Amino acid sequence: MLLLAIGAALSYDNPADTSIWVLVVPMLLLAVNLIAAIISNPRINRRGGLLVFHLGLLGIVLLAAIGRLSHMEGRVEIVTGSEFTRESLSDVRSGPLHNGALDQVRFVQGPFTVEYRARMMRGLTHSYVAIPDSEGGWRELVVGDDRPLLLEGYRFYTTFNKGFAPILSWIADDGRPVETGAVHMPSYPLFDFKQSNSWTPQGGEEIKFWLQLETGLTDKEAWVLDGRNATGTLVVNVAGERTELLPGQSVEMPGGTLRYEQLSTWMGYKLFYDPTLQWMFLTAFMTVVGLGVHFWRKLTTEPLGLDDKQQAKRRKIAQDSTAVSRAKTVQES
Amino acid sequence: MTELPWLYAGLLAYALATVVAMVGIGRLSSAVAATAPSLAAAGISESQRNNERLVLALMTAGVVLLVVTLADRWVRIGHGPFVNLFELLISQLFSLGLVYTIAYWRIPVLRTTAVVVLPLMWVLGVWVLALEPSDSVFPPTYHNPWLWAHVGFGKFFLAFSLIGTGLAGVILLRGRPFFRRLFSHLPNDVILDKLAWRFMLLALVFDSLMLIAGAVWAQDAWGRYWAWDALETSSFLNWLLLGAAIHARTTYKVPIRLGAILIISVFVFAFVTYFGTPFYSEAAHKGVI
Ligand code: HEM
Repeated sequence: MLLLAIGAALSYDNPADTSIWVLVVPMLLLAVNLIAAIISNPRINRRGGLLVFHLGLLGIVLLAAIGRLSHMEGRVEIVTGSEFTRESLSDVRSGPLHNGALDQVRFVQGPFTVEYRARMMRGLTHSYVAIPDSEGGWRELVVGDDRPLLLEGYRFYTTFNKGFAPILSWIADDGRPVETGAVHMPSYPLFDFKQSNSWTPQGGEEIKFWLQLETGLTDKEAWVLDGRNATGTLVVNVAGERTELLPGQSVEMPGGTLRYEQLSTWMGYKLFYDPTLQWMFLTAFMTVVGLGVHFWRKLTTEPLGLDDKQQAKRRKIAQDSTAVSRAKTVQES
Repeated sequence: MTELPWLYAGLLAYALATVVAMVGIGRLSSAVAATAPSLAAAGISESQRNNERLVLALMTAGVVLLVVTLADRWVRIGHGPFVNLFELLISQLFSLGLVYTIAYWRIPVLRTTAVVVLPLMWVLGVWVLALEPSDSVFPPTYHNPWLWAHVGFGKFFLAFSLIGTGLAGVILLRGRPFFRRLFSHLPNDVILDKLAWRFMLLALVFDSLMLIAGAVWAQDAWGRYWAWDALETSSFLNWLLLGAAIHARTTYKVPIRLGAILIISVFVFAFVTYFGTPFYSEAAHKGVI
C-alpha cells in the first residue's frame, strides 16, 4: 500500500511522463496479496459481503490494467461539412492491445454553437453531427460538453478548442489541377487577437494571411459563438501590399491565383476509447454494495453495548474501579 | 449579497451552540464530582437535559439559517453552491451541521463530542468569514446528474469522519486528568472506540461511492475517468489511508489511543483534500472546465 501511495504521488499531475510501472508494480503486489488473503483468510471468504468487496477490488485492478492495455486516446479537429478520418487524428496514444473498430467510425461534422456569458465565461456547447443510419441516409445528433458522440465504443468529446477555417483554392499558372483546402485558424475566441496563419500550396510559395472576424464577440454581455452568423475578411500581403478578400474573391500572386471560397469553422474533439468502462462501473458498484452488506450485517448483529441498563452497569463498574484505584493511591501515598 | 445576514446568523447559532455545549459538559462534570456516584449512576439530570435541548435547538437553528443562506444565494445567482470556496464552505457547514445535529439528537453518547466537533466546524466558520463572498459561474460540465451523487456522497463521507473524529478526540482528551473528570459520565473507551470505528466504516462506504461517482462524472466531463490530478491523487491516498486504518484496527488490534490518532489523521487528510488541494491545483475542480 505504501508503494502504491508513493506511486500515486509520483503520478500526480504528470501521468504521461511518469513510468506506468510505479503504479503497476505495487498494484500487482497488492493484487497478489489480495488473492492470497481471499484464499487463505476465512474471515474474508466465509463472509459474502466482504468476499464480494475484496473480489471487486481485485476486479477493479485487473480491469484498470486491461483498460490501459487496450485504450486509445487522441485529438482531432474537423471542419464543418467534412467527414471524420482516421488520418486527421493527432496526439494518439494507445495501449499495445488496442483493437477497436476505428475504421468503421463515420460521422460528418455540422455547425456548432458555444454560449458565452459576460466576461467571456464559456457555457454550453452544441455540436451538430450526422451519422449514417440503417437505411443508407444520415441521422443528426447534438453532442457537447458532458455528452460525447459514442460510435463503436469510441467517445468524441467536444473541447474548448475550436475556431474558424477559411476555405482556400489555389489555381496555379502552370495548369495543375485546382487545389482546395481548409486552413484551421488558431482557437477562437482564445486567440481572437492573433488570427493569422499561412498556407503553402503545391508549387507555390508560402502565403501568409490573417482573418478579420465579425462574430459578435463581447466580454460585456452574453453572446453565442455561431459560425453561421460570422463573417470574415481574409487579409493577404501580396508583394508588400495589403489586400482584403471577401468570400468568393481572388487575388493574383506569383505563380497562381488565390481564391477565398468561404468561411467555415472547425471543432476540436478529444477521442477516448476504453472497452472496460461499463465493466469497471459495474464492478465498482458491486464492490461498494458488498462493503455495504458486510457493514450492515456487522452493525445489526454485533451489539455496541449502549442500551441504558448496560450503560448504567458499565458506569457503575467504571466508577467502582476509579474508586478502587483512588483508594489504592491513597493507600500507597 | 442578500445571503450574508443569514450566514452571519447561522454562524452565530453554531457559536452559541458551542459555548452552551461546553458550559453544559463543565456543569455536568462538577455535578458528577459533587454527588458521585449516586447521581451519575441514576442518569443525566434535568438541567443537563435542558442544556442538551438548547444545544440541539441552536444547532438546528444554525442549519436552518444556512439553508436559507444557500437558498437565497442559489436563487440570486441561478445555480447551487458547487463552484467557489466561499460557497463550498457554507455548503459543508450546512451538511456537516445537519448530519451532526441528527446524530446528536438520535445517539445520546455522541453529545459530549460537541466539545470537539463544534470547534472543528468553527475552523470552517472563521474561514468562510475571511473569504470574499464573490459570485461564481457555473461551468458547462456541471449540468450533470452525477454532480448530486458525487457531492452528496462526499458530504456524508466528511460528516461521518467528523463524528468519528469527535469520538476519537474525546478518547484522546480523556488521557488528561482534567478531561478525564469532565468526561467521567461517558461509557468507557472500549465502547466509544467501537462506535467511532463504526462511523469510519460508514465513511469508507461513502468515500468509495464519492470516488466512483466522481470517476463517472469525470468520464462525462473531461473524457477520462481517472488521470491523477491533484484532487484525484489526494482523494485516492485518503481512501487508501482509511482502508489501511480499518485493516490496522481489525487485523492488528491497535491500541485504542493509537486507533483514535489514526481516525484523526484520516479526518485531517480529508480536510486537506477537500479544502487544501484546490489551492495548489489549477486543473480540474478549480475554475471553469
Ligand atoms: C475521479 C474523479 C474525481 C475525484 C476523485 C473527485 C474527488 C473529489 C473530492 C475529494 C472532493 C472534495 C473536495 C471539495 O469539496 O472541494 C470533490 C468535490 C467536488 N467535486 Fe470532485 N472528484 C472527481 C470528479 C469530479 C468531476 C468530474 C467534477 C465536475 C465536473 C467534480 C466536481 C466536484 C464538485 C463540484 C465538488 C464540490 C463538492 C462540495 O464540497 O460541495 N468532481 N471531488
